[in-house]
Amino acid sequence: MLLFLSPAVIFAGDVEVEGAWIRAVPPSSKATAAFMTLVNRSEKPVLVTGGTSPVAGEIKPMITTKQGDGVMGMGFVESFSVPAKGRRVLEPGGDHIMLMKLREVPGAGSVVPLVLTTESGGKTGHIRLEIPVR
Amino acid sequence: MARTRHSDARSRRIGLILFAACAVVAVPALIVLFSMAGNSSSPWFGQYDAETHPAFDFSLADQDGKPFRLQDLRGQAVLLSFGFTRCPNICPTTLGHLAAVYRKLPPSAQERTKVVFISVDERDSPASLKEYVPFFNDRFIGLTGTPADLGTTARAYGASFRKAPAVGSDMGDYMIDHSTYTYLIDPEGNLRVLYRFEQLPETGRIADDVLRVLGTRASGRQP
Repeated sequence: MLLFLSPAVIFAGDVEVEGAWIRAVPPSSKATAAFMTLVNRSEKPVLVTGGTSPVAGEIKPMITTKQGDGVMGMGFVESFSVPAKGRRVLEPGGDHIMLMKLREVPGAGSVVPLVLTTESGGKTGHIRLEIPVR
Repeated sequence: MARTRHSDARSRRIGLILFAACAVVAVPALIVLFSMAGNSSSPWFGQYDAETHPAFDFSLADQDGKPFRLQDLRGQAVLLSFGFTRCPNICPTTLGHLAAVYRKLPPSAQERTKVVFISVDERDSPASLKEYVPFFNDRFIGLTGTPADLGTTARAYGASFRKAPAVGSDMGDYMIDHSTYTYLIDPEGNLRVLYRFEQLPETGRIADDVLRVLGTRASGRQP
């Protein structure tokens, strides 16, 4: 049965991750970003607080700030909240999961294991992902 | 949650270090001109400036450390954007889209089109640009320069940039909030079309604009 599930949709308890991908970046890069849609099936908000991966020493949620004159910047946040029965889209030019202190720069076509850390109702959870790089 | 996010971003900006030469640049008349030029019946996808405004002829250094002036590209269309190589989201997104625009051009138009990325980060060097820019396309040009020259150049294009502390990460001491416009300069060296970041995924329509400033038809035939 599991074999028939699309690898792009991963269930982890109450949160489903759709269409996750990591951006292929130049080999000299110190960081890259992961994008995905987080779908919360539960009745409680779920916070995504960070993650772990063999390729990165540090993984944090990051937002993109837009200022009026076309200027954009980025800032770390403690967590992304995925509303109860709602979804949150992480996409290029917007919010993303930042992978820093890269131990290796994953190349296009590779797949990166990444575990997202979540919090909901005082409990810590983990979402195990295998994310393609493109 | 939205409120929390907002105050996060705001408190982060309180500690802004203004870039020495450039500081925060007010958006000059250039952008106003462009926004007034917006016209729904226009065949142009980006914001087209029908008046002739010579693009500022910057004098910077390319990824090989050689002097580079915009004037060197006379006779070619130029897609120009600003950023920095440690930029992990906006700049790769921009350059990725511009690479797709470039791929959509017929070879004859590619020969007459240059994509130029100017780093506004004093930590960047020709060497760091050489590791970064060709990843997107080996024909793209990465430029850097003195803080004064970069400030003057950015100001002339109505682009602004400022350091923003990168607290609690290894992104370096700071990141840079920067303009995300892409500029299309015609073969005569005039600033013709402005694209907002959100427009960049429409790579086919931007390629059509490039062909239009080159005076070629979408079929790729040379005039």
